Amino acid sequence: MIAFLTPFLALAAIQTQEPEARAWTIQAERVYTGTGRNMEKALVLVRGGQVSAVTANADEEKERTEDVLRVYAVTAGLVDAGVRVTNWTSVEQSNEVTPNLRVADALDPFALEWDRLLRTGVTTVLASPLDRNVIGGLSVVLKTAGPESIAARTVKADAVLRGSMGGDPSAGNHPAFGRPTDFYSRRPTTRMGVEWEWRKAFFDTALGHNESDPGRATLVAALQGKLPIFIQAWTTQDIRTAVFLREEVQTRPEFAAAGMNTPRFVIDAAAEAWKEPQLLARSRTAVILPPFPAAGRTRENAFMAWNVAKVLKDLGVPVALSSHGSADMEQRLSVQAGYAMAGGLTFEEALAAVTSIPAMLLGVQDRVGTIEVGKDADLVLWSGEPFQPGARVVGTIVDGVLRYEGWTAVQGATAER
Amino acid sequence: MHFNVGWLALSLCTGSAGAEAGATPPARETILVRADHVIVRPGLVLEGAQVLVRDGRIVAVGTGLEAPEGARVVQGAWVCAGLIDPWSALGLAGDALAETNATPATRSVDGFDPYNMDHLRREALRAGVTSARVQLGSAARIGGLGTVVRLVPGLAREETIISDASNLWMTAGLTQSGPAQFVETGEGFTMVEGGRVQDPFERADSADRIVSALQAGKNYLIAKNEHRHELEDWAKKMAEKDVELDKEFKKAKKEREKGQKDAEEKDKKYEEKKYKEDKKPQPPRFDEDNEVLSNAIDGRLPLLVGAERSAEIRALLAGTAPHGRLRLVLAGGSEAVNHARELVERRIPVLVWPTPLGRSRPDEFESHDLSLAGRLSREGVQVLLGSGGRDPSATRDLPLLVGLAIAHGLSRDDALEAVTIGAARALDVADRLGSVEAGKDADLIVLDGPPLETTSHVLFTISSGRVVVTPEG
Amino acid sequence: MLSILLALAAAPALQNDGPLAIRAKAVWTGGGKVLENAVVIVDNGRIQAVGADVAIPDGAELIEHDGVLTAGLIALHGATGAVGETRDGTRPALPEGRVGLAVDARHLDFEALREAGITCILVTPDPAGITGGTTAVVKTAGHTVLRDPAHLSLVFSAEGLSGNTTPTSTSGALALMQNLFAEPRGVVAEARAGKLPCLFEVREREDVRRAIAFAKDKKLTGALHGAALAGEVAGDIKAAGLSVIVPALSIGTPKRTLDAVIRLQKEEIPLGFGLDTPWNHAEALRLSAVLCVRAGLDRQAAWEALTAGAARIAGVEARVGRIERGLDADLVLWSGDPLDLGSVAQTVLVGGKSVAQKESVR
Repeated sequence: MIAFLTPFLALAAIQTQEPEARAWTIQAERVYTGTGRNMEKALVLVRGGQVSAVTANADEEKERTEDVLRVYAVTAGLVDAGVRVTNWTSVEQSNEVTPNLRVADALDPFALEWDRLLRTGVTTVLASPLDRNVIGGLSVVLKTAGPESIAARTVKADAVLRGSMGGDPSAGNHPAFGRPTDFYSRRPTTRMGVEWEWRKAFFDTALGHNESDPGRATLVAALQGKLPIFIQAWTTQDIRTAVFLREEVQTRPEFAAAGMNTPRFVIDAAAEAWKEPQLLARSRTAVILPPFPAAGRTRENAFMAWNVAKVLKDLGVPVALSSHGSADMEQRLSVQAGYAMAGGLTFEEALAAVTSIPAMLLGVQDRVGTIEVGKDADLVLWSGEPFQPGARVVGTIVDGVLRYEGWTAVQGATAER
Repeated sequence: MHFNVGWLALSLCTGSAGAEAGATPPARETILVRADHVIVRPGLVLEGAQVLVRDGRIVAVGTGLEAPEGARVVQGAWVCAGLIDPWSALGLAGDALAETNATPATRSVDGFDPYNMDHLRREALRAGVTSARVQLGSAARIGGLGTVVRLVPGLAREETIISDASNLWMTAGLTQSGPAQFVETGEGFTMVEGGRVQDPFERADSADRIVSALQAGKNYLIAKNEHRHELEDWAKKMAEKDVELDKEFKKAKKEREKGQKDAEEKDKKYEEKKYKEDKKPQPPRFDEDNEVLSNAIDGRLPLLVGAERSAEIRALLAGTAPHGRLRLVLAGGSEAVNHARELVERRIPVLVWPTPLGRSRPDEFESHDLSLAGRLSREGVQVLLGSGGRDPSATRDLPLLVGLAIAHGLSRDDALEAVTIGAARALDVADRLGSVEAGKDADLIVLDGPPLETTSHVLFTISSGRVVVTPEG
Repeated sequence: MLSILLALAAAPALQNDGPLAIRAKAVWTGGGKVLENAVVIVDNGRIQAVGADVAIPDGAELIEHDGVLTAGLIALHGATGAVGETRDGTRPALPEGRVGLAVDARHLDFEALREAGITCILVTPDPAGITGGTTAVVKTAGHTVLRDPAHLSLVFSAEGLSGNTTPTSTSGALALMQNLFAEPRGVVAEARAGKLPCLFEVREREDVRRAIAFAKDKKLTGALHGAALAGEVAGDIKAAGLSVIVPALSIGTPKRTLDAVIRLQKEEIPLGFGLDTPWNHAEALRLSAVLCVRAGLDRQAAWEALTAGAARIAGVEARVGRIERGLDADLVLWSGDPLDLGSVAQTVLVGGKSVAQKESVR
């Protein structure tokens, strides 16, 4: 039986509390695997929550399951390395450096935000604390759908150490006039202060000045390169500061002596990365871009050029796109990929920038990011060419479970072509 | 046989789907309601009686009534009129509730959305509340005209709206207790405006403003009446003049011909002779708001005034005393007990919101004294009970509010009257709602126990001859 | 038209010195048991005998009650008698703060509770920081603190977080909570050893989950308070063996919330009702239960949640909550079925002494 979003499917979804992974046969005009092997009129078979076959061979027909989904295009589920599914309760502001705190403790699996992400084709996200601290804590990589439990949805716990340069950690702080009345009168009030907190944390760790600090182990792992450091830096001076900080760690003898001179940096929200792309290429630092602003300027008055992704890509800098926590439908990840294409990326490059590259930056490329046999069955089903205006997400499969289905509304649009 | 089974299954299916989705209300039926006790109105209970309903109306109430051919028979222990919430917010959007710029002629019925919050309305029907007065501008000085509506979702407009101008609503002083609150409507949250904490100077004249608005209505009414008298006088004079002119018809005709001839000779235009009676008296300029106010002052439209403090109530009572025909209803009335004697003398009912908010012992009226209804009633004041007109979901719990009023001193008969015939009379809809009598609309509830005992369950709710709630769903 | 029957006039003035016998049309002893036309003998503040054919001792004052006799109601969350004394904002954790020492057990506000048939209340510290201290069970009359400390209050909701002092984050609060439980002495150690139950302050369903995870990790027992939709994660609560204090429900409570309470009961999770006096009216306790019953909660379960079930959550079931020989004579003479809101607590006894009398209108 061919299920074109049959009412039975909808019913099943309502009746069972936790839908199980089904054996799907997805019949698509286009299968964009993300591995350089794109196929027309092909099948993607899903078994036990994983992709079991990707084939153009019609003989596979006999292996078809009962559950057939017929769509125009299939891509891997999108990976958003910059979502904000947290609120102010995710960051412990009473200290500006809190490397050991886990954002996973503040996440709410019941939040409505998950549903929005799912509807826009995002299946894997990096959830980070808000950038009110210099070093905010440990981010977590998790799926946007699954059991209503953060632990069950986690792909990689303690995936990234998250922090920020620039204005966010210092905004709203003020010098103390007399005795400090709250912690906002002792926290950094300027960019310099923020940068100093980073350097202090790094040097304290290398020199062993923070032996009793609960966050030390995390900082050690980060400096040794076992844990990537994601630094938010919107403007060119903050991007430079981050790059120079890393180079300092790589070259100063204190760090070499402690064996802590190989940190991995990823610059998040690097809106002005196009201004000095050579710097990023030289230090081989990957970049996550915030959404393209409608009017050029974005946060912290950073100017974001249309071709920033293209410029960086041409220099060999890995670029991922992100929604940076925006709930604006214009700034969702699939639309961003379309904008990046308008800025010069090819379809394959844009697809990589929202799937395989962020998956690689988050260290979960063996599970998500491409359509390959053995990987998680995280798939986005499209009504037309992905990222093009007018094409919409008509289905999202996470771990083999059809978690979102837009068929009912667009039955005509997905009818056999 | 096979056909029969299939047909049965289909009909069951559509029946339950209709009750679930409620897109279209169930059809009107001929219904015979049998009950051990039929409360015709509070104080008059028929034992082992029946109620016959046809074409949306009650056609007979009595003992020994038989079910006509094809009638649906509904059975229960107790029957009484569907409850009326005379102070509800169900069906009005939050912005209408918070409206502060209404004028007397602004109509709540225009802001009423019959499709809004239908799940809450279904819950209210299940609790036995079949109609409600909804009112925009719950905090406004002037809230305009209230409307009385049936709560059944999906009814035609003429069946939904029982009265499109049940009352005029105004407030004096601080009527909204507590801060602005968010009300869950099921489709999201609606903000209902909270206390406009006015300064004492602003409060002091708020009752005066009502009085002067009424005076404007009075002046308008006087002007209209004067105009009517003038018209009568004019018509009389016109008739007299006609007779007079008839008498001298020949002479006048001659004069006119002569005049015309003269004019022709002098090459002038002939001018008809003018009489002072030709001028018709002018009516006062039409004013919608004054129309409404004059209806209120003339007793054709009840005036509900939300007032809590003794100061405002006193000013209001003093200011409205000269208007003998005015039908005033006090709403809120936290400190109305002080004025009980005057309220009794002038037969002014008090609409009470017995809600368990705040401290049990009121030191200011932001705390709600549950015994207010009972104390007023014991003083002889007629009491009405409502759900406060702020939270749309509170109408469902009207029976609980009434229960609290009973626990705190209101007699059960007075309580039932307050949410049936009493409310209907105060809102001028007693010809259609409020009691189980032949000729009235068939809005009934059938229960397994006495109404207003919170342990009783509503078995059937019948609204304008439609069975909208059954024990199954 | 209305005949006012003053129960006050009908009820004999209670002498209180000697033994007292109350014969009621129905005696709800607890656990669903109803004795028709039974007698309860009270002496020395305790219930001495219960039954249909109990001999009335010589010299006992006999009260004939044409209504229902039940144990007094127990409200599980409130600040009556300690308003303004239940929050210390100066530090993120105050585990040794004892609300029981802040309660003025003679406070006038208790009168409103007594009139509503409430004879016991669990007074709780405000959810501030990660713990605001310990709770206490107080009788609404007689200056009696039944149990102090009754629970260690632990805050898992955002109410405990602050904008300008530590903790500001859920993660930070959890880290502080872990540190707190490293404490070797005091109430925390007692809680860890299972000697003192905890009161978990929660709001969202995810708060419930976090609290459960923490309770499992530290092997804590106790009750969750504050999450209206706790019932939607009833399975987890059941597995953790925790009880639930349903926050006071108000007129117009959404059906989803009421359905969630019913799910808790279906999972047989022990229930009680909070009251949060003085911000809520004392009648909100009975109202909460009646709202749930009208939405489909089992009548018996609702009544248990107001009496014996609440007593168990408060840890005072050996003293109050049922009508049983040996228990405190905390009794209410209702004019009718107490789950009919129109019924009145005509006479309320705490420790065998009449503490409230009310007229009844029919």
